[in-house]
Amino acid sequence: MAEEEFTDINGNSISLDCQTHSAFCREFTVTAPKLSLRKVMVCTCFIWLFAYAIFFLTENTAVLSSAIILTLAGMMIHIHFVKVDHETLLIIGSLGIQLSSSYASGRESTTFIEMSKLKDIVINEAVYMHSIIYYLCILIKDPAEPETVASVVPLFQSSKPRLNCLVQVYRSCQEILAETR
Amino acid sequence: MMGADSGPGAPAVPWRKVLYERQPFPDNYVDCRFLEELRRNIRVRQYRYWAVVRETGLIAQQVSCVAVFLTLWSYMEQGDLEPSLVLWVCLGCALLGYGLYEILGGACVRERTRLADLQSATIFLAFTFGFSPVLKTLTESVSTDTVYAMSAVMLLAHLVSFPYAQPSPPGSLSLNAALFGSVCLASRLPGALHTFTMLSCALLVFALWPCLLHRMRDKAEWSFPWAAVLVCLAGVGGLGSLWPEGALLLSLALLTLTLLCPLLLVLLQRHKDNIHGPWDEAEIREDLSRFLN
Amino acid sequence: MGNRRRGHTHAPKTPPLSLDTHSSDHEQDVKHRICMVSDFFYPNMGGVESHIYQLSQCLIEKGHKVVIATHAYGDRRGIRYLTNGLKVYYLPLQVMYNQSTATTCFHSLPLLRCVFVRERITIVHAHSSFSAMAHDALFHAKTMGLNTVFTDHSLFGFADLSSVLTNKLLTVSLCDTNHIVCVSYTSKENTVLRATLDPEIVSVIPNAVDPTDFTPDPSRRDNSKITIVVISRLVYRKGIDLLSGIIPELCGKHPDLCFLIGGEGPKRIVLEEVREKYQLHDRVRLLGALDHKDVRDVLVQGHVFLNTSLTEAFCMAIVEGASCGLHVVSTRVGGIPEVLPDELVTLCEPSVQSLCDGLETVIARIRTGNVASPATIHRKVRTLYTWRNVAERTEKVYNRVCREPVLPLSDRLHRLRSHCGAVAGSIFSFVAVITFLFLLFLQWLRPDHLIDVAVDSSGPHSRLGQHVSKKTSKTPNPAVS
Repeated sequence: MAEEEFTDINGNSISLDCQTHSAFCREFTVTAPKLSLRKVMVCTCFIWLFAYAIFFLTENTAVLSSAIILTLAGMMIHIHFVKVDHETLLIIGSLGIQLSSSYASGRESTTFIEMSKLKDIVINEAVYMHSIIYYLCILIKDPAEPETVASVVPLFQSSKPRLNCLVQVYRSCQEILAETR
Repeated sequence: MMGADSGPGAPAVPWRKVLYERQPFPDNYVDCRFLEELRRNIRVRQYRYWAVVRETGLIAQQVSCVAVFLTLWSYMEQGDLEPSLVLWVCLGCALLGYGLYEILGGACVRERTRLADLQSATIFLAFTFGFSPVLKTLTESVSTDTVYAMSAVMLLAHLVSFPYAQPSPPGSLSLNAALFGSVCLASRLPGALHTFTMLSCALLVFALWPCLLHRMRDKAEWSFPWAAVLVCLAGVGGLGSLWPEGALLLSLALLTLTLLCPLLLVLLQRHKDNIHGPWDEAEIREDLSRFLN
Repeated sequence: MGNRRRGHTHAPKTPPLSLDTHSSDHEQDVKHRICMVSDFFYPNMGGVESHIYQLSQCLIEKGHKVVIATHAYGDRRGIRYLTNGLKVYYLPLQVMYNQSTATTCFHSLPLLRCVFVRERITIVHAHSSFSAMAHDALFHAKTMGLNTVFTDHSLFGFADLSSVLTNKLLTVSLCDTNHIVCVSYTSKENTVLRATLDPEIVSVIPNAVDPTDFTPDPSRRDNSKITIVVISRLVYRKGIDLLSGIIPELCGKHPDLCFLIGGEGPKRIVLEEVREKYQLHDRVRLLGALDHKDVRDVLVQGHVFLNTSLTEAFCMAIVEGASCGLHVVSTRVGGIPEVLPDELVTLCEPSVQSLCDGLETVIARIRTGNVASPATIHRKVRTLYTWRNVAERTEKVYNRVCREPVLPLSDRLHRLRSHCGAVAGSIFSFVAVITFLFLLFLQWLRPDHLIDVAVDSSGPHSRLGQHVSKKTSKTPNPAVS
């Protein structure tokens, strides 16, 4: 059980939680900062002031009501589909890897990758927006030709931790992968 | 410039402009022979003022030709000129010009027979005559302002695209622009015969006159400046009878063109600085088409 | 930025020295972190591409860290590793014309800054004046306070409007670049004139040829006839029109002569017409585009190598031809007279008559047997141009450059205004100020300390080989965006 402070690529602090359940089973949780109330307030205020300005000019009350509905719906969509609270990587030596990300609303989406499909876990570099970042990814074997890579599954896609965090996860994963082979 | 090798180990061997030898000089060494193959202005022509003035006569007379044509059109539009009279004068001028062209041609080998010339003249006249009622009503649905603007643009295009270096035969773009402008103008005249007359005049001024002038310049060089001056005077005079201020502007423009522009050209030659050297792309001077045809 | 360069052991007050051979010992230990930038890199093929690749390999061998930045080629996007940990950034920038990117002086700054910062680059080395990305990179590197080197691979004229404009841009781009490298003395004269430079900051370092790739093989020749080999792109600048005159002229005189022509281009049709008209199908063979690995196989089949270029900064083709043991006949244009010693090359004027005369003297010498053997020619050429030598000389340029100060913004503006004329100078001063503000904005948006320092794959701190499984060069690089 270890918890350390890291930052994501934009400098926001995130925390990495490593839990060793057994020699072959480890769980890594990257937790992004909570949705800050201040940001929500500022955003809402801006939209409402803007709507009020339009209402002042047009004297149409529909503007105000639609602004309220818009902010509510936007907030729902944000916490349900966009804002990820934490991402978990559960690696079980003999079985496979489970990836799950839970959204701020509590919704969870989970994928499982069998150990037989998995080729390796590596740190890779990619051009992301206007910068170049490191990311951790799982290489999936091509079932026809086991030596080639069929596809790549990026990990921690929404929290985007920096290299030092990735290296720690990478080392632990490689330990387990080395033991199971 | 030098100095990299001024130390005690200064090499005794002279620097050579070769890459295949390792020379005892640093890579950024600059020899006194640096840029010795640089040549400046090797292909510059020296212009003499009066020769250039003489050449600009061609441009001035072409501008005046347009003025003469417009004057003629203006008189016909106001109904001051009988088309039949103009036609007769045109015929006379054409015959006179043709005779002059033949005499000046002299020893030249003729590519076309006189019969062929007559044939083309007849075909052109017959077609223009037949189609002049059509041409007359061609632009009826277009507003007069548009027609004037169009013909102004076309005559300008004629002046810009005229092949002054090789005026015979007149370039297709310039001739077509001039004829299109003439058709536009002619369609605003009172009658079908007017239209026909105007188009015949256009052909005379824009197609045949440059050929005759070119031959005059070739065979009887003394006559060219006189002809140019005569056309310029006709242009200025014609415009003067309609619109004196316009004539003043035209004569000012012609004077600038013939006297001031050559002066500028000659004076600006001093500032020419053309650099040549071994880096220039080589030109193929031989005629290579003989290997293919 | 400043603390990244503090690791280097050089006194800031050292007066700029010439590139002397007697450099002190500690200077030799300085290892640079170099970023080569050009629009032209593999998979595109050509002289600039192989120059960058070979130079980078030799610099890595000497212990420097080298990364290459170029634009994305179709599907090839992201980061790739080549032999010996040579890292290539294929950046997603829009290609405009002829594999050159559009230049706005701004849009490439975020990505290039990211590359320079994460790789802790000390020297930015841009290649080719046709490459807009190279000029952009020079501009950004100077804004970020990095040392800059530029290599010019081509010659330009001065006569027409387009060259006047490109020369002005080159003046702007090079006026505050620390050092410029040219491939021949003629190219140096040309560049100095075009960009109005001080000739002291221009070094001449020729291109090189890998001699092991181009070895002679006389058994492949057909000695019953004389074969003339031409390998070039079939375009006007390579003098293919001259070739179309030489072929019928010489084939008429010598019945045992044949031509082997490798390359592709718009002038191929001219050669085909000549072949058709003179019925030379069995004697003139057009091989079409050749892969680099096939060039040697074609070269060794010939006796004479013919180059008809109308302009050339440094002709690699004639060195390759001579390295394969062929007698070289070439036009005397550009930097070609500097490339090979007189006994290895017959230089002619760029005309059909002169080239035919030159070829006929060589043919006559071959018939009498009065010629050096291919092995002798190869031995002479082998040591002339090697990439290792090029890398050594380039290293000296880097050593000199990293001792020089990078102009601060105010000095740059002054230099631009005083050096590039009032109009262009003012415009580009404005652009330089805007770029500087943009850089400040980017540094606020994403400070340098937030950009992860990349794991070195080449250079003194190379991690290549220590964690083999950590980075697999075979990994596909899908851009996560």
